[in-house]
Amino acid sequence: MIFTRLTFVLLLSISIPVVAQDSLSSLSLEQARELGRENSRFLREDNTNVQDPKKPPKANLTDYKKTLYPLLQKSCLACHGPDRSEGRLRVDQLDPNLLTGEHVGQWKEVYNALGNSEMPPADEPEFALADKDRGLLVEWVGAELEKAYHVRKNSQEYSSFRRMTRYEYNYALQDLLGFPFDMVERLPPDTVSDDGFQNRSELLQMSAMQFQTSRQIGLKALQRTTVHGEQPTPVVYRFPLEAEMNRLTSAANAKVFNQNDENYRQTRNNNHFLNKQTGKAINYNGGNFKPDSNAVVGAAPADSPVRLSLGAGKELKFNLDRFLPDDGIMRVRIRAARSNMNPELFANLRLTFSAHTSNNANFSQVISHHDLAVAAPAESPEYIDFFISLGDIQRNPFRKLETTFPRRDEFLHIRNVSNGNRGPEPLTVLIDHIEISAPFYAQWPPQSHRDIFFESANSQNEDVYASEVLKVFMARAWRRTVTDQEVGQFVSLFKEYRPDFGSFEQAMQEVLATVIASPEFLYLTTANGSPQDAKDKTISDLELATRLSFFLWSSIPDVELLGVAYKGELRKPDVLEAQIERMLEDERANRFAEQFVGQWLGLEGLDNVTHVKDGTLRDSMHEEPIAFFREVLAGNDSVMDFIHSDYVVVNEKLAGHYRIGNVYGPHFRRVPVAASVNRGGVLTQAAMLSMNSDGTDSHPLKRGIWMLERILQDPPPPPPPNVPEVDLADPRILQMTLKERIEDHRNKPACKSCHAKIDPWGIAFENYDAVGSFRTQLKNGPVDASAELFNKQQLDGIMGLKRYLLTDRQDQFARAIAEKMTTYAIGRSLSFSDNADIDKIVVQFRKQGDGLRDLIHVIAQSDIFNAK
Amino acid sequence: MSMKSISTSRRQFLQGSGIALSLPWLETFADAEKVPEKTPRRFLSVYHPDGVGLPLKNDPAWKDWSWFPRGGERDFQLTKVLDVLEPLRSEITIYSGLSHPAVRQVHGHSNADQYLTGAATGGHGAYKNSISLDQVYANHIGEKTRHASLVMSTNGGVGGPRGAQTQSFNKEGRPIPAMNRPKQIFDMLFVTSGNDAAARLARSKSSLDLLIEHTRSLGRKLSAKDQQTLQQYMDAVRDTEVKLAKAQRWIDTPVPVVDQSNLKLDADPKEARLYFQTMYELIYLAFLSDSTRSATFQLGRENGEGPHDLLSKAVGLGGAHGLTHAVKRPKGWENLGTYNRYQAMEFGKFVQKLKDTKEPNGDGNMLDNTFAMHGSASSSFHLSRNYPIISAGGKNMGFDNGRYLKFGTGNEDNQAGAGIDTDAGWRGKIEAEELPLANLFVTVLQRLGVETDTFAGYSGTLERV
Repeated sequence: MIFTRLTFVLLLSISIPVVAQDSLSSLSLEQARELGRENSRFLREDNTNVQDPKKPPKANLTDYKKTLYPLLQKSCLACHGPDRSEGRLRVDQLDPNLLTGEHVGQWKEVYNALGNSEMPPADEPEFALADKDRGLLVEWVGAELEKAYHVRKNSQEYSSFRRMTRYEYNYALQDLLGFPFDMVERLPPDTVSDDGFQNRSELLQMSAMQFQTSRQIGLKALQRTTVHGEQPTPVVYRFPLEAEMNRLTSAANAKVFNQNDENYRQTRNNNHFLNKQTGKAINYNGGNFKPDSNAVVGAAPADSPVRLSLGAGKELKFNLDRFLPDDGIMRVRIRAARSNMNPELFANLRLTFSAHTSNNANFSQVISHHDLAVAAPAESPEYIDFFISLGDIQRNPFRKLETTFPRRDEFLHIRNVSNGNRGPEPLTVLIDHIEISAPFYAQWPPQSHRDIFFESANSQNEDVYASEVLKVFMARAWRRTVTDQEVGQFVSLFKEYRPDFGSFEQAMQEVLATVIASPEFLYLTTANGSPQDAKDKTISDLELATRLSFFLWSSIPDVELLGVAYKGELRKPDVLEAQIERMLEDERANRFAEQFVGQWLGLEGLDNVTHVKDGTLRDSMHEEPIAFFREVLAGNDSVMDFIHSDYVVVNEKLAGHYRIGNVYGPHFRRVPVAASVNRGGVLTQAAMLSMNSDGTDSHPLKRGIWMLERILQDPPPPPPPNVPEVDLADPRILQMTLKERIEDHRNKPACKSCHAKIDPWGIAFENYDAVGSFRTQLKNGPVDASAELFNKQQLDGIMGLKRYLLTDRQDQFARAIAEKMTTYAIGRSLSFSDNADIDKIVVQFRKQGDGLRDLIHVIAQSDIFNAK
Repeated sequence: MSMKSISTSRRQFLQGSGIALSLPWLETFADAEKVPEKTPRRFLSVYHPDGVGLPLKNDPAWKDWSWFPRGGERDFQLTKVLDVLEPLRSEITIYSGLSHPAVRQVHGHSNADQYLTGAATGGHGAYKNSISLDQVYANHIGEKTRHASLVMSTNGGVGGPRGAQTQSFNKEGRPIPAMNRPKQIFDMLFVTSGNDAAARLARSKSSLDLLIEHTRSLGRKLSAKDQQTLQQYMDAVRDTEVKLAKAQRWIDTPVPVVDQSNLKLDADPKEARLYFQTMYELIYLAFLSDSTRSATFQLGRENGEGPHDLLSKAVGLGGAHGLTHAVKRPKGWENLGTYNRYQAMEFGKFVQKLKDTKEPNGDGNMLDNTFAMHGSASSSFHLSRNYPIISAGGKNMGFDNGRYLKFGTGNEDNQAGAGIDTDAGWRGKIEAEELPLANLFVTVLQRLGVETDTFAGYSGTLERV
């Protein structure tokens, strides 16, 4: 089998130039993928001669002299020449080399005037330009402008010295201080680069506002993670469920029922109390509670036969009155179990917080970061703990009023997000214990405090102890060893501050806040050795540790990684490999998947999508490419899986959207799919298709641009200003299909040169509508997804597109993803001189079999990653 | 988004090629620059909840008690509701046909939140607001005065989401607590502050000094190029130091001494007239002493409840909110109109006072350098459209007063939504086309000297203003 396929592939590869389109189009995508690999330039033995696809472009002066200047002479020179120079423009004096010449600005104006048919003036027929000639001119100027743009951009050298991004600062604070809550809401968003990345050194600015805000956030974070004085007494609520049930059932006219009633199936999804011994039940949707001053946090619940049954999609609403503290962590502990273990059904808990202060003045807000699954069987319920930072959620501003209006109460809602209300035996959540406590501390002082204010024999001698604390904290925050002199500076600051504060810890909080306002924390530095190693172009082991951790964790290194680097062992190949593997297995590597995939594919575009009304579906769309990336990463599968895979990674919601059966629950998992499902890879994921739509229909132009920018790393030139809109008032145009409209637009000379390169890529996706559903019919006829690329290559719909990418563009995609991941890893733009390094990376990881995990290792070992 | 990144790159490219982009605000900004620089420009917004009376034309009350004027731009006639402003006719402008598009179908009870922000604050669920007009200006000019802004309301504090008791929201869209006790406001403005602020400033100063020293030594280890990047950090720290020094200067500057004879600092909203006059007097004194140049004042909360409701006692009527519900009762329109007339009268007195006071530090009178607006985000009953707005002053900034400016189409006589007194009204279909109030805000900001062309996502200024 393998033999025959290989022979087939070899035969084909030899005869490619003469092979007709039809025989290629009969290839399966698997065959196409093998054939494409055979075609790789990067995999040839003599790949030293790999043609650099990005060699510096040259100005096209030959065509200018031969064809274009004569046209300009004929149509423009009379007014823009030696005799008259209207608008101070002399066409005869324009330097036709846009790459190095000084007239690029004037050429831009020429481009606009010609592109918009403003020049030559319509009332001067003797100077008119034929459409064909205008097209030639616009195309040439456009191409030269584009080259000029890249050359001027890429001739710069970039440095990896940069400040942390907003999200990195957030994670770095979390990891440094051991406080898993978001703290950077007040920081302004970072500038996104042309190709979607947020961590570009040249775009990460610092301003007084940015600095001050970071400083305040840092101090506040320290004040939350370190403590002083006695442990505050927590407010504790324990809902007396059994008493509550008894109160309800003993009321006059109580509508008591029994789980053995015949119609229990019909009503059981309503929230109700259930006594599992007697079967007695009564509906219940929540109640009013006050703190229980005798309750002990975390005490085991009393044994009781009473369960609170929470139906699928239902919620319980508890009025907590006005007693929750302003700040600190609130733990909501729920002991819960599933009513049955049917694997097709799931139940997750979600918390919402609300207040209704007066008529029409209300709010409600989801406060749990993630839904938590109820997994335990009915006979052995388990604790489910939510941790909420009370100072960070919307609170009822009237809670401290002396009077009772506006209303002061705050409400906690517990919702069961579930698909459980179906089948003969629906799934509900059985709750037998609810305890709320705030501020919650697992221990006192909390671990985050002990990590900074560790035990020391010197803790009574404040100055000595301050110096010990600072030395450890500074080394961790600054990711390097610190000198006694540096520590001494901060100890002096402590001594100055100390009299202002009641406790050692409070004064130290302010000193530590200064440590993390320093550029040594806020910036990723690449030179802290001695002056003599300024000539050494390689970063130090400690800097390598930082670079690795920002690459894979979006944050500072942990103690282990710093330790290995400190001992000088990080560059031993087996140690480096082991550390990378350890980091990828760590939970923090999820940030890499989220950030890299989000920025690479531009998933923030989904935030602007308003036509996907179902919030759960939109969230699932956003998660899918990230989950898919994780899947490929976990198995070190080929990056070509991004082009096409014979599996998808979906949850129940998306599976429903894609019409794939038998997928249950909100978690993402790998599901094999047949070709007939028309999915696999990232191109056909709903996120890409939806965000590259216009709200009602597919948008081939957006999809084409997205393909070129994100997948092929061949961004189209910027559109000319004042591009003529497609005129929908024109009845001729209104009657056209979208594809016809695009073709009509493309046939205008000013538009042709760009659109011919963009549109076909998008038209191949026409079988997917505005939310990414597959379709074969439009209102007025069958879908036409056939397109012809600029190079005359025919693409027959998505299968044709994928097949062509796999046979002919594997190298281009491999290089694109390698380049994008490298630029993300080092946090800077690339210049021409980096191309050789990137090529080396591509050759190596392609040789190893295109594995995504291999790519990460290859990048980490590369010269470019290890260079200053 | 991919499309966005393209345009960014083009703009960067254009700038790189030395082509200047002309932005629309430049022109207006140039006009505003004619005011001598040291003359302060001030902004005030007074907000009253619950809207105004808009009877139907066939209602006998229409003639006297419909809030909007009749007639044309210059030759408008005021009804009894606003006739108290007749003596100030040449100093005021009245607007119709303006509203914030995002909330045109939201219940009027939630309106105080979005009047100065234009945010889509909605009717239920998660809540998010955005920066208010006064705070945009305060961020621009705030460092010139001891207080960046003065935020007042009768009820004080922030209120609840969709039940705001403040008109001011910061850059992150969070409410800024309003002050409501005259004594407390007076102390803040005109009584020396404590030592705590000074100690905090001193600590910051030491911290910044250490960071600067440390950053210098880091810089010596960096390449020339990276030193440039680090210089940005250094500049940011230095700018912060400058800000601290300014704050220090305010601590060291004695607070202004003002004439307290018109102040009744223990006034309570129950004594509506006294309270009103005292609060307006505090704004006047804050402006006169140049303690701030941006102020907001909210007359209580939508939906009755609290001190605001008592203000209508000033004209011998019951709860203010109740007046809007009772318009179909005998004398209903007249009662509501009488209360609105009283609000306009107090505003008028304040405007007159600014007009009568010579600008302490510049040309003309204080009114000519102050843009003061008075309005509500409801017109008829709970209806979040066609906001009734009056502005006064601002002559030196380019405001041409003495006009009734109608905007939008389909509601020339202000009858859309008129005469309603049930909730069917505010839910109803949008019949008339109105312009975004944000366009007026952009005009105001530009004339105050803020370089912007958008507010709350809406671009452009309002024509004819």
